[in-house]
Amino acid sequence: MFLTRSEYDRGVNTFSPEGRLFQVEYAIEAIKLGSTTVGVRTPEGVVLGVEKRVQSPLLESSSIEKIMEIDTHLGCAMSGLTADARTMVDHARVTAQNHAFTYDEPIRVESATQAVCDLALRFGESVHDEEALMSRPFGVALLIAGVDENGPQLFHTDPSGTFVRYEAKAIGSGSEAAQSELQDKWRSQMTLREAHLLTLRVLKQVMEEKLDQHNVQLAQVTPTKGFEILNEVRLKEIIDEM
Amino acid sequence: MDHFPTNWGRPRNDAYDAYNTYPLHHRPSAAPGHDKFADAVQRTQQPIVTGTSVLAIQYKDGIMMAADNLASYGSLARFKSIQRLHAVGTNTVLGASGDMSDFQYIQTLLDELVTDEFTHQDAHSLGPAEVHEYLARVMYSRRSKFDPLWNALLVGGFKDGKRFLAYVDLLGVTYSAPSLATGYGAHIAIPLLREVVDGRQDTLTEEDARKLLHDCMRVLFYRDARSLDKYQLAKVTESGVEISDSIKIETAWNFAEGIRGYGAQTQ
Amino acid sequence: MPDGSFSNPQQRQFNPYSDNGGTILAIAGADFTVIAGDTRQSEGYSIQTRYAPKVFRLTDRAVLAVNGFAADGNMFVKKVKQRLEWYRHAHAKDMPLRAIARLIQTMLYAQRFFPYYVYNILGGIEEDGSGAVYSFDPVGSYEREACRAAGAAQSLVQPFLDNQIYFKNQAAAPNQPHPAHLPLSDVLAIVIDSFTSATERHIEVGDGLEIYVVLAKGRSVQGLEGVRSIQELSTKSDGDRVFVIRRDLKKD
Repeated sequence: MFLTRSEYDRGVNTFSPEGRLFQVEYAIEAIKLGSTTVGVRTPEGVVLGVEKRVQSPLLESSSIEKIMEIDTHLGCAMSGLTADARTMVDHARVTAQNHAFTYDEPIRVESATQAVCDLALRFGESVHDEEALMSRPFGVALLIAGVDENGPQLFHTDPSGTFVRYEAKAIGSGSEAAQSELQDKWRSQMTLREAHLLTLRVLKQVMEEKLDQHNVQLAQVTPTKGFEILNEVRLKEIIDEM
Repeated sequence: MDHFPTNWGRPRNDAYDAYNTYPLHHRPSAAPGHDKFADAVQRTQQPIVTGTSVLAIQYKDGIMMAADNLASYGSLARFKSIQRLHAVGTNTVLGASGDMSDFQYIQTLLDELVTDEFTHQDAHSLGPAEVHEYLARVMYSRRSKFDPLWNALLVGGFKDGKRFLAYVDLLGVTYSAPSLATGYGAHIAIPLLREVVDGRQDTLTEEDARKLLHDCMRVLFYRDARSLDKYQLAKVTESGVEISDSIKIETAWNFAEGIRGYGAQTQ
Repeated sequence: MPDGSFSNPQQRQFNPYSDNGGTILAIAGADFTVIAGDTRQSEGYSIQTRYAPKVFRLTDRAVLAVNGFAADGNMFVKKVKQRLEWYRHAHAKDMPLRAIARLIQTMLYAQRFFPYYVYNILGGIEEDGSGAVYSFDPVGSYEREACRAAGAAQSLVQPFLDNQIYFKNQAAAPNQPHPAHLPLSDVLAIVIDSFTSATERHIEVGDGLEIYVVLAKGRSVQGLEGVRSIQELSTKSDGDRVFVIRRDLKKD
């Protein structure tokens, strides 16, 4: 591997002769080390689900935060270097608030996603003599879920600043198996409850531990109630229904 | 800024340090190269050397503009062969009233702009509409900095078969009309110009346009104390800009002989 | 100075503002809005031009009327249009009316300490298809209303609108309440009467009249049939539609 990639995999702004940016590709690899994260879109709303790897019995599982609110109508789930996601979510939140302040309307899901991706591409950039804002690409991928005038939507962003809209998407370590399962089971006219169940079933398949209300987290964005993280009571209900 | 008046250099007002109790050489401001007002900015607060009205009309073949050759210093007729009409590129003429130094600055600004545009060699040249828009931006941004260019300008031209005539002033106010005038001309000449021009822009001949402006310049010379009986005429047509040599206004003052009843004159 | 030459210090201050006269007005109907303005631009007793538009189409559903200091007005409209274009690029749609209203507030308030000396009236169609009028003061206070007049003849026109649109000082006949919205033909007549009257009594109003009519998507052109010198400005025929009607006003 290093035979072909040496020399061209150090700088974040140097293309290899084959036209690749290795640091960005490595960043995308980093996501595959992260825990599995799933998003499912239905006409009733979008469901996000994450696996929380509880590494030790002494770890407080409720302190693992992998689903975050961006605005009342927008949320996101992450996989990869989750610390990097804070910077992105922070930017998305400010952008959303700024939009609401200036235009008296909620920001569109795609616009918020675009704003995050604009930031994702700022690595290695500097103005005049100033230090660059970021020295490396983000090592995290996001599933951004939201509802606007175009209905419920789900977007996937990666460290290259690319974003794509999905009906259902899985990222992280178990993403390959999870994605093919989603492809099998996703239907265009699912109810929100069916999406909850699908999300959990997909997570269950790829998780090593036994799935319970402590090692997964579920969130949803609906046209009526906006973004909400399901509490452990509601989560247990759904798990019991599986 | 130093708010202690005795540090402001020579007392400018007896209310402060009337008896010079603070010896000159002890004043911090006495140090060489120390100017207490260095960080203050002096901006144009009034026009100094000024030009009076500019007149312009649309006519059959394009536009015609007139401005006399006088630059006044207050009530003194200071410079009597100043040109206040300026060609901008090949399709535009600019006429200026107000502060003449600001006008000269605008001329250099526009000449630079035209040169820059020319060096692109992209077969595109600035027309009167572009020059006017540019000037409007410059004038408005200067007024917004509280540092206005103290002028009222007329921009006229002919390009791509279309006439253009518009106004812009120190506030950045713009407008367009078939006949325009700045300064006194707006009060005295405009009624005369509108009477002839409005609605007849497409038929008015060059000769009639020339005569109309000449007559208006004469009326202005009779009525405007800051005007001169020597003016230049510019026309912009299909074939480009032409600025004439100075034209003399013939006047008759014999009617004044018989006027009685003003001021101290009682007989 | 001993000679007293500084006893009355005089300072001449450059005044960055001017008043360019004219009047604007807008009235909202149930599924249409009418926005109008005269075309005279003046300074003091001088008419600078008989045709300087004060009403501008922003999108197929929004029209902005600007009155006050003309240089600020033109610059403001230019900047609003620029923001609308940026919004279109960023969000792939035309800005909704209520978003334009809020944008105008933020743009005006951003200049709180060196204001745009302009009174804005924004008219058009809301997302729900209703006619709407938003009026602003120079520093950005705004509200949605059914009608508003602004400018030189505001004091002449607004009381007339209060009476004709809000039915102020008019007692309703028994069992016949005043209508919430007037039909388009009535509104057009009121607008034209407002401007002919303002022209009659105010020296800064006259020369020309431009009346913009915005119709909600799917609404018929009822009320516009047979109207003289009308021109459609919409970019597509299956959405909200914008028309302009041009009329002469007295030039004296």
